[in-house]
Amino acid sequence: MKHPQQRNSICLEDAEILSHHAYPGDQHILRLQAPRCAARAKPGQFVHLTVDPQRPMRRPISIMRACADDGWIDLLYKRVGEGTALLAARTTGEYLSTLGPIGQPFRIKEKRPLLIGGGVGMPPMVFVAESLKNSEHQPMVILGSEAPFPFTARPSSILLPGIPDGVIAAMPLLDDWGVPCRLASQQQMPGVHQGYVTDLARHWLNALEAQARQEVGLYACGPHPMLEAVVELAREFALPVQVSLEEFMACGVGGCAGCSVEVQTENGPAMQRVCVDGPVFDGYQVFN
Amino acid sequence: MSDPRLAVDFCGLKFHTPLVLLSGCVGFGEEYTRVEGFSNRDAGAVCLKGTTGTARPGNAPHRVCETPGGMLNAIGLQNPGVDQVISSILPQLDFEETRFIANVSGSTLEEYEEVTRKFDDSPVDAIEINISCPNVKEGGVAFGNDPDMSARVVEICRKATDKPLITKLSPNQTDIAYNAKRCIEAGTDGLAVINTLMGMAIDIESRSPVIGNNQGGLSGPAIKPIALLKVHQVYQVAREHSIPIIGQGGITSAEDALEFLIAGASVVGIGTALFYDPLICSKINAGILDYLECQQLAEVGQITGSLRLNESSSPKCGG
Repeated sequence: MKHPQQRNSICLEDAEILSHHAYPGDQHILRLQAPRCAARAKPGQFVHLTVDPQRPMRRPISIMRACADDGWIDLLYKRVGEGTALLAARTTGEYLSTLGPIGQPFRIKEKRPLLIGGGVGMPPMVFVAESLKNSEHQPMVILGSEAPFPFTARPSSILLPGIPDGVIAAMPLLDDWGVPCRLASQQQMPGVHQGYVTDLARHWLNALEAQARQEVGLYACGPHPMLEAVVELAREFALPVQVSLEEFMACGVGGCAGCSVEVQTENGPAMQRVCVDGPVFDGYQVFN
Repeated sequence: MSDPRLAVDFCGLKFHTPLVLLSGCVGFGEEYTRVEGFSNRDAGAVCLKGTTGTARPGNAPHRVCETPGGMLNAIGLQNPGVDQVISSILPQLDFEETRFIANVSGSTLEEYEEVTRKFDDSPVDAIEINISCPNVKEGGVAFGNDPDMSARVVEICRKATDKPLITKLSPNQTDIAYNAKRCIEAGTDGLAVINTLMGMAIDIESRSPVIGNNQGGLSGPAIKPIALLKVHQVYQVAREHSIPIIGQGGITSAEDALEFLIAGASVVGIGTALFYDPLICSKINAGILDYLECQQLAEVGQITGSLRLNESSSPKCGG
């Protein structure tokens, strides 16, 4: 056994669909009974799902929540093509072959992690927030979506200095965990900041005391342009930043190099696999 | 321990099962061991990722995409170069578990020769030369589709190693059996049939190919009937010289594997099927054993080339 640290880190399970709810904007939340995955999953990791037995390629989907005690995982995905359309047609009681958890998780180092999720990039941020509740960390979450949010937003019970007046809508789950949260969208939605997640983040950062600002680290998952803007923001404030990437993926275990992307390393540019070298990368290595 | 009935002698090497994990699908041999329940012991051999003389970054994304019954890939031979593979990767492999086969690629004859020579002086059990990689601008398929060039690559690699030498043939050519014959005459010990077929997928919104490299190699169940016919055709030549074949292309079940063995393969390659079932090897092994029992056969070798052609067949007419 020459690679004991990586061997047996990913489980293959036939996971029963416990619930599967559709939300406006072709969004779906799927709860799977996948106890071995649930017991090991860390925020930032994903599962590689067989959406249909006739489909040769699995689909990588981020884990939004994992309950080790009850053995389930929650996934949020958007129907964008044939594969996710097949997935959306699967119903409670059916089984999905689930490979996971996979990938390098977010490694939260700073006292004040600023978690930014856009669209189907929201799930890992919810997972990070849940992992940090009741910890010494003081996370702040900003979620953005152009489709209606896949939850019923409600006015936050947590006051936040620096946030524009009237921007009070929050994700109830996060609010219940005592994690401050605000929402942003280009669309007009009540209580939601009309603009980019990074605008809202800038307001929040500017309102912090200089000392507190030095304790912030940025963590983001979402569309590529959003990630680029988040890294720009981090650069502006000279703060560390980690981003989670997506790419078409075949094996999901590091075997095929089909999901490789270019990142900057100490030794110059290198192609790294999103599946096992990522999906979480240092933001400055991806956008420079 | 695996069942002795599954053991096969391939180019003088004992494979404890007739399954070979294919180059490009399993990284440098350790990647799939991340999956709980997966073991390299379920395969008779593991072909390592294609290796060149110096490091190659590979192609720009997207490198893979799903197509009906299969997938396209254009990885572009991303690898750290032969020296790094030998110094850093091979020492991490557990040669107790299975046989490891190096996969050699190059842009020039000299590069094929150099990489083969370096692997000859390494612990790998055998060397596969990839004269059919469709995804690099030079070399690869340019050699593989020309029987003269194929033979020259084999000849030069043959001189560079005493290890078993396997030549991976391209299906993207007119007469694969003739190419196989030339490679056998040039000194190959075994043949791998087939590599991927060239294909394309187009995004109708952007009107651009989905694959960054524009075109890629098609694998998966979609190519199985083609691969099977190519194995059958190559076997007609190979059996005269007792050259064994790795039959590969779209195998996803024991039944598929048996078809390739019947067509003339001595062992079968598993690639794309791992992507949707990483634990498929143990299932295929079990299915082959069931077949041996049902057919009252003592070992896998008895299946190879046992095809009974229909007498009324008209081989040159598909209509």
